[in-house]
Amino acid sequence: MNGTDLKNQLIFDFASGSLGPSKSIFASTYLYLNSKASNLNKTFENILGENLFDNDNVALPKLKYTDCISNKSVISQKPNQTSSPITKVIGSLDKIKWKQVFRGFSEFSLNINDENNLKLIKMDPGISAPLHSHDGKEFILVLNGSFHDEYGKYSKGDLQINDQNIKHTPIACEDEGCVCLTITEKDVIFFGRYGSFLNLFTFIKSFFK
Amino acid sequence: MNKTELLDLMEKVAKNRDEIAFSILFDFLAPKINAYYLQNGLAKENAEELTQEVMSIIWTKSDYYDPSKSAVTTWVFTIARNKKVDFLRKNSKINFNEEDIREFLYEENKTDIINENEIKEQVSKINQLLDEYQRKIIKMNFFENKSHKKIAEELEIPLGTVKSKIRHILLKMQKLL
Repeated sequence: MNGTDLKNQLIFDFASGSLGPSKSIFASTYLYLNSKASNLNKTFENILGENLFDNDNVALPKLKYTDCISNKSVISQKPNQTSSPITKVIGSLDKIKWKQVFRGFSEFSLNINDENNLKLIKMDPGISAPLHSHDGKEFILVLNGSFHDEYGKYSKGDLQINDQNIKHTPIACEDEGCVCLTITEKDVIFFGRYGSFLNLFTFIKSFFK
Repeated sequence: MNKTELLDLMEKVAKNRDEIAFSILFDFLAPKINAYYLQNGLAKENAEELTQEVMSIIWTKSDYYDPSKSAVTTWVFTIARNKKVDFLRKNSKINFNEEDIREFLYEENKTDIINENEIKEQVSKINQLLDEYQRKIIKMNFFENKSHKKIAEELEIPLGTVKSKIRHILLKMQKLL
């Protein structure tokens, strides 16, 4: 699959309600930052709504409409829709306690216990992450600033999805660096100058999860 | 029932708290919502319970329905879907602070307001673009949340074919959007 298919798939899976917690947070942040993605989600929801309208009927012999009117467990409360999904989970991005992985490159793990690893990463201006490929897929969403790699430049609200065949070297843009939200489906394999050291590091780290 | 009648009933419920209008909505929607949950693999009693909750939300929160933002069917679908997500999370073994996450996940994103006609046009274009078989696959995959493997079994086609068909359909749709 190319990147566009994978993005469509992510949005459609979000619209249909089949993503796990990590990917849901990730996808809702993406929709919040990217109006094109958000409109695509809206269209998908409409198609799913059409499916509901045309759906088969399975009668509910016991349930009466009056049971729904008298159901007091539902409270009418207007949803608040002010800040970004990610800041709702972790608070302000300025107050994060970053953990430095190497000079100029820090990360912060959101401890959501599912099959995916949801992380924030911060790269200082001009810093490059060592060349790496991925065992599973990697999703990178730019929250602030921008980065570029062999495939192009990515700014706030842009999403890059890499599968296991892709090797790339992201470099944070000179002026402001970047903060990204990432999901890795499985641990990243590093290559290059610091590669073996970082692999060992990832390996050791996995014992302390 | 057509979409205009549906909208009309919704407005009567929201503005006049019209119980008769709600009973008609109930008769039309509840069996479809129930079917949706059963298609998604929920047990009969759970499907009934969730259908009741969805219909209660429609009654209680009808004044939050905004016709300029979405079609009635879309609004109802999102409520039903959110209930499904809640239910599956509560019953999963995943250990996380569920309340934190549930609070915001499917709240409305700030979108550019798309008007109802544009949506209708888009959806009908997509429907024209896809043949019946493709629509069926989309429904199975995303509405009924069946795995690729399950779809392959039910349609008696190879797994690789299902995957490539879905990829093809999504790309086709992308071109329209």
